Amino acid sequence: MSGVRYRVATASEVAEPGDRVIADIEGQEVAVFNVDGDLHALPNFCPHQAAPLCEGEVTGRMVMGDDGWSWEYVQRGEVVTCPWHGWKFDVTTGKNIKDEDVAIPSYDVERDGDDVLVVR
Amino acid sequence: MAQHAKAGRTRTLDAVDVVVDSDAHVTESVDQLLEYVDERDEGLRRIIEDAAQPAHDIYSVAHPTPPFIHTDAFGDVYSDAPTGSLEAKRAEMEEFELDYSILSPTLNLSLATVNNDRAAVVLAKAYNEWVLDQFTEEGDDSILTPVVIPPQAPDKAAEIIDDNGNEDGVCAVSVPSTGLVPPPGHRWYDPIYEAAEDNGLPLLFHSGSGATADIFPVMRKWTEVYAEDHAMVHPFTAMWNLTSMLFQAVPARYPDLQFVFQEAGVGWIPYTKWRLDDHYLELSDEVPGLDKLPSKYVDDQFTFTTQPLGYTGDHPEQLAKMIELVGPENLMYASDLPHPDFDPPEELFDRIRGHLDDEAVRGMMGETAVDVFGLS
Repeated sequence: MSGVRYRVATASEVAEPGDRVIADIEGQEVAVFNVDGDLHALPNFCPHQAAPLCEGEVTGRMVMGDDGWSWEYVQRGEVVTCPWHGWKFDVTTGKNIKDEDVAIPSYDVERDGDDVLVVR
Repeated sequence: MAQHAKAGRTRTLDAVDVVVDSDAHVTESVDQLLEYVDERDEGLRRIIEDAAQPAHDIYSVAHPTPPFIHTDAFGDVYSDAPTGSLEAKRAEMEEFELDYSILSPTLNLSLATVNNDRAAVVLAKAYNEWVLDQFTEEGDDSILTPVVIPPQAPDKAAEIIDDNGNEDGVCAVSVPSTGLVPPPGHRWYDPIYEAAEDNGLPLLFHSGSGATADIFPVMRKWTEVYAEDHAMVHPFTAMWNLTSMLFQAVPARYPDLQFVFQEAGVGWIPYTKWRLDDHYLELSDEVPGLDKLPSKYVDDQFTFTTQPLGYTGDHPEQLAKMIELVGPENLMYASDLPHPDFDPPEELFDRIRGHLDDEAVRGMMGETAVDVFGLS
């Protein structure tokens, strides 16, 4: 895999689902999230108004049920909500959940022994 | 779109093949309608006849001050019935060189203010019978009418749409849209949306300053003059209705429906689109019924009639810029004749011809309406 690998955390810091670490990579803040055991990395940056997106609450999202009536809460633990204005992004893809034209990069994450590496 | 192109401009209104007036009023009186009340409804006809002032005792029309004082180019729209006949409408079309007219009511813009639901249904049916009988002619689609429905009785409104939807002369369904309680995003109105979609008819929302006595958006009690009431009732109605319909996912639930908002001008549209997109992204858990930005539903399923364009003083080019922001493909020229705030076709044409390309100009003046209303 191409790209430069940066050590951003130890495995124990993001060992459990819901764990999150925000690291500095040459002046850019990058967050690593544990979602159901898988690690995902996003820049700590909201494309809306430049907020520290990844410091926001990790939530689910509301969708319309197949019956056209019920509101169902899905993707628990997979959505980060921007602390400034509430824009929501899918942690696993970097895409805004309501407008896929709005997205931030999603970086690959690797484990190397006790090190967690972000590939940027 | 190629804007400001030197080539491909339409230089004169004469070069525009088709001009459609997408909001051409008739001025019906209660007396005219009573002649068209079905015999089975004689009891309700007698009640309406008994009203000393049916505009107030049956409808709840109550302007803060009399509308349009001292403006009588076409007669007093509320008493002389200047476009209460086909001949009068034809004369207007000839004077202003309008090829097609899509009719709208005047008094029945206030149909939602009728307190008695049964009376509202009877009046809606009578209006539709009257307008079809008096204004439309078989084999001639130069004057077409929507079916006007009573929003306070959605099930009966759906029956009216089914009964009239295939009639010669019918091109749409019209919802008198000021003073709707509940607002039009509510599932209460689903029978109306279903019937319009089933009949393949666009759904018109026309606001009205006669419908502001009690209900949002402009309450008569605290507006001291008609100017205050009239200036805000149209855009406020349109903004409130559009917000309700979008956030309650009406266009998502009825993807084959086309919606037309009439008589609020154009300037409110970009502002409202930006504001709704912003709220959609910030409060997304409250609007799970939408699959795309509200503005994209507007682009795909809504058109707006242009009148009243407003006065831009020494900067008429600002109107063309505003139209570029709205998207000219979503706008349709309308005169509003014979009401005293009407726009002749030149009022729009002269301000867009040097700024927008030929396709956009022709679309706004008539060709988009040809598509929306299925004109031949």
